[in-house]
Amino acid sequence: MRISQRTSECGNVLLCVLCTILVVSIIGGNVLLNCMTRYNVVSSQVRSWKESLDAAETGGDIAYAEVRKTILDPTHAFSSWTYSGGAYTNSPVTYGTDNLTTSSRADPFYYDGNGNAWYRIRTKGTAPVLGLKRVGMDDRMGPNTRGDSLLRKIDFNYDHFVATYGPNGDGIGQTLLPVSTPQVSRRIELIAAPITPFEAAIKAGGTFYGLGSAAYIDSFRSSTGPYDASVKTNPSDPRYADSHAGTVQIDASVATIMGYIYGNVYTNGGTVTKNTTSISGIIDNNVPFSLSPFIMPSTSLWNFVSSPTAVTGSTNITPPAPGTAESPNYYLMTSFATNGNLTVNPATTVVNGVPQVQETYVAIHVTGDIGTSSGSGPMITIPAHVHLDVYFDGNFQTKAENIINTSGYAGNLQFYGISPTDPSVQQTVNLNSGGGSTAGFSAVFYTPSANFTINGGPDITGAIVCKNFYTNGNVHWHYDRTLDSEGNAVDYRVISYVEDIR
Amino acid sequence: MKLKTSQSIAGFTLSEMLVSLSLSSIVLAAAITCGISLQKSFAATDNYFSTQMQQIRIIDYLNRDVKRGLIVTTSVDLQSVTLNLPNYIIQAGDPEAIADPETIGTPRTPTVVYTASGWQVNYSPSTTTVVYSISGNSILRTENGVVTTIASSTDQLVPATTDVDLANTEYASTSVTFSPIFTSSGAVAERTGTSLYATAYLRNKRRG
Repeated sequence: MRISQRTSECGNVLLCVLCTILVVSIIGGNVLLNCMTRYNVVSSQVRSWKESLDAAETGGDIAYAEVRKTILDPTHAFSSWTYSGGAYTNSPVTYGTDNLTTSSRADPFYYDGNGNAWYRIRTKGTAPVLGLKRVGMDDRMGPNTRGDSLLRKIDFNYDHFVATYGPNGDGIGQTLLPVSTPQVSRRIELIAAPITPFEAAIKAGGTFYGLGSAAYIDSFRSSTGPYDASVKTNPSDPRYADSHAGTVQIDASVATIMGYIYGNVYTNGGTVTKNTTSISGIIDNNVPFSLSPFIMPSTSLWNFVSSPTAVTGSTNITPPAPGTAESPNYYLMTSFATNGNLTVNPATTVVNGVPQVQETYVAIHVTGDIGTSSGSGPMITIPAHVHLDVYFDGNFQTKAENIINTSGYAGNLQFYGISPTDPSVQQTVNLNSGGGSTAGFSAVFYTPSANFTINGGPDITGAIVCKNFYTNGNVHWHYDRTLDSEGNAVDYRVISYVEDIR
Repeated sequence: MKLKTSQSIAGFTLSEMLVSLSLSSIVLAAAITCGISLQKSFAATDNYFSTQMQQIRIIDYLNRDVKRGLIVTTSVDLQSVTLNLPNYIIQAGDPEAIADPETIGTPRTPTVVYTASGWQVNYSPSTTTVVYSISGNSILRTENGVVTTIASSTDQLVPATTDVDLANTEYASTSVTFSPIFTSSGAVAERTGTSLYATAYLRNKRRG
């Protein structure tokens, strides 16, 4: 007799195998699910969140470059941007292998006392979220805590920012804006502030020689009181710190320093020779800088006054209106003779039948030289309440005592040497005080392409930016620290950064 | 007639049973041990990666705030960070909101002032204060008194931030470590092996 095998025994084995496979599959699936979640978060969501900030900052760089062009290349500034509602906007730019997108908006939101525009730059950067289209964030911290979703806001179907706050974040124009693929957007706001040129007493882009052995450079702050020569040697005086900011910056390797400098001396990788012990501050030989050529600013917003067109002999200007720093009275002069004697008077307005002097803003553009090497040199006089900017294409030659600024504030009389377009042409500024005269001036000079020479020993209040600097006289030079906020913008820097984290 | 015993339906002897039971027990015990170990390893690994995610989150939170901060100050034990941020958005109760409720939730236009240390951009006279701190197993972010738990783990997450103030810049260096739950002895090396480092520079350095 033969007893056949029961099939149920085979079934049990199959069942066991299936159960084992099921258990292993569940474990495997669970592991895979966890791995994919982590991968999804790290590789896609976190990466996109970081990349979107990179895109936003790229947009900031693009807009910042355009803002800089308003000074360095005005004809091409914002040339392909759209101007509407007081702001410039550009078309979204897509770049990189991850197809990051950025768009920018820049608006001049503030004009300072010099008429320089401050720009607010708002940019949006967007990065697509690749991988699984799901919320799979790892926010298991507690029953009521969702860490990731507070930090990283991913738009899966709609742009949450536009839906909640509107496209500009001001609560206007909220709408459901579908997104083609999941994405992360981040928004930042930058403030680009103008860099004004007079941050040091003397700034030379080339060589430096001077001053005379009995000369000195010190400083003061006119907003806290008039200049007092005794402060710099009196440490107990509260103005003492302000008296030791007569800084000299030289972008060359050798600086021949003579006289006394109550401030710092900076060079570009070089050495300071001669009277190094007469420098009260630090000597830093690792401070390079560059001076960009100066271009005539845009005059489109200025009030053009057609006459006079030259300064010959005694010439008086009384502007028809006070003007403003952003929109001064603008005179275009073809020449300024060496015997020219220019006086710029403040504008007056009649209030209740009584003429009242107004703060008056004037800009003069001389397309040739101011003075020549012959004669006593041209004279420029401005009484109080006049703010005069003089732009000149050629050379400037006169005596220090011929520059008369009655207010005594150097910021009220500013000279700008427009850089020659021909690099073989060397611009010069010569201020020669003969006969032992110590009469000086209160003014500032921004002439980045000019060789600047002072002979004699004038008493100067102001600041100078030039190419090569030379003086052999016993100059007494007082840098006014309030000048560090004066003058036309020569560049821009970003001084504020805010992220809109909504 | 002698019946022939069929071997196919014969039972096991006692010794066979004992041997097979012993072997089965060993196999089963091994299987259960393996299963438990696998489960523990899985839980530990899962926890490890989860805590790593939280490391990243702490760094991301902190760096975002440092970048837009005006002032960053770290405590002596390096485990508490206080930041002052610009008040960019008008909130209910702010002077602008009281004057015009429509402005709530809108960005401020900054004001520009000239100070003894140069030009300064201000969004509001007051600033937002954000404090990062440790509370038990949680890392807390407190913004103007409102507390948010940004990370929490039984792995003892410990962030340490150093605020470095230089002449012309400032940055905060942060490291976040944790002690994995599967470590046997809690050795220092096991914690330091989990370190995640990051450095963020202040874009709005402001002192005094």
